[in-house]
Amino acid sequence: MMRPLVVIIGMIGVVAMPGPASAHSGFAGATGFTGGLLHPLFVPTHILAVAALGLLIGQQAPRWGRAVPIVYVIAMVAGLGAIALAAVATLAENTLLGLAAIIGLLVALARPLPRSIGWLLGGAVGLVLGLDSPPDAIPLTQAYVTMLGTALGAAVILLALVQVTSRLRRVWQRIGMRIFGSWIAASAILMLALRLVR
Amino acid sequence: MLACLAAATPAWAHSGGASGGLVAGLAHPLFGPDHVAAMVAVGLWGAFLGAPAIFILPVVFPLVMAAGGVLGILGVPLPGVEIGIAISAAILGMMVVLAAKPPLWLAAIMVGAFAVFHGHAHGVELPPGADAAAYSAGFVISTGLLHLAGIAFGLLARWPAGRFAVRAAGGAIAIAGLMFLGQLA
Repeated sequence: MMRPLVVIIGMIGVVAMPGPASAHSGFAGATGFTGGLLHPLFVPTHILAVAALGLLIGQQAPRWGRAVPIVYVIAMVAGLGAIALAAVATLAENTLLGLAAIIGLLVALARPLPRSIGWLLGGAVGLVLGLDSPPDAIPLTQAYVTMLGTALGAAVILLALVQVTSRLRRVWQRIGMRIFGSWIAASAILMLALRLVR
Repeated sequence: MLACLAAATPAWAHSGGASGGLVAGLAHPLFGPDHVAAMVAVGLWGAFLGAPAIFILPVVFPLVMAAGGVLGILGVPLPGVEIGIAISAAILGMMVVLAAKPPLWLAAIMVGAFAVFHGHAHGVELPPGADAAAYSAGFVISTGLLHLAGIAFGLLARWPAGRFAVRAAGGAIAIAGLMFLGQLA
């Protein structure tokens, strides 16, 4: 029973571990499919939002069923598709932080929520995450491969988190999820304030 | 997790500041003894109060602290921040000494009110050039871990000798809080 907690703590560690954000400055040593695959893991705002969503879906399991991760993936592919069509979302990162704050707060509150809220939040996080993941690659083929990696990476991270969090049923595990949710919300609120001021 | 934290590097994509980042965020609450005393006291008191306070207080604190942090970042003045922080250590320590068990809502309001002062201080003292993401995550995690340390120690209160030790720790925090207050006078 310790394994799920260890995985969650590891995820928190990854959230806390800042690294260069590929979409924003270049992801040293990782380009193409691998770069795209690792991209969601090493951009703090992305992993924060995905971790919050994963916690919330797991917390609401089995009420929400499997539809929310599917909506998330479809929306993310739509966001990446919009990028491929040259769409530019300048406020995507701030929006993602706002979503992370809201979702973290919902995790901390731990109230039963209707499935429609899950669809809405899953779709919003997926779409904005896709829009905030423009590849650095100039050749078109390499850009598509990078985006494919991003889609796969972001999907796998969420699904792995949901698999872990939906198995956390003990009281102390549920409490731990609420505390992590409050940490995510607090971090997102502060990050958003700092980004807006600077 | 510790390995991840130790491997932290500045997140250049977001600001490029070598002076800030995760280490600065993690260290910030730890280098203020008044902060440390109050954070540990929150955990001790939560453990003393038992469920659900044992987890509600550590959930309330970072959320309200973030609101206070936003006020500090935005430059909204808050009078008596340092006094508020010192008083928070003194009063929370006293709650532990007295093994006070007020209604949960009152305990949450008290802790939340003190969290505003702590958050404001963190927001104002943000080092120039600090990476926003890493710094914020760092000081939220550091604050949360101090709460957990307090809770872990507070769980000793299940045994008579442990109960004495926890109340003594509360007494030490209360005295430290009064000393911080005396230094400000």
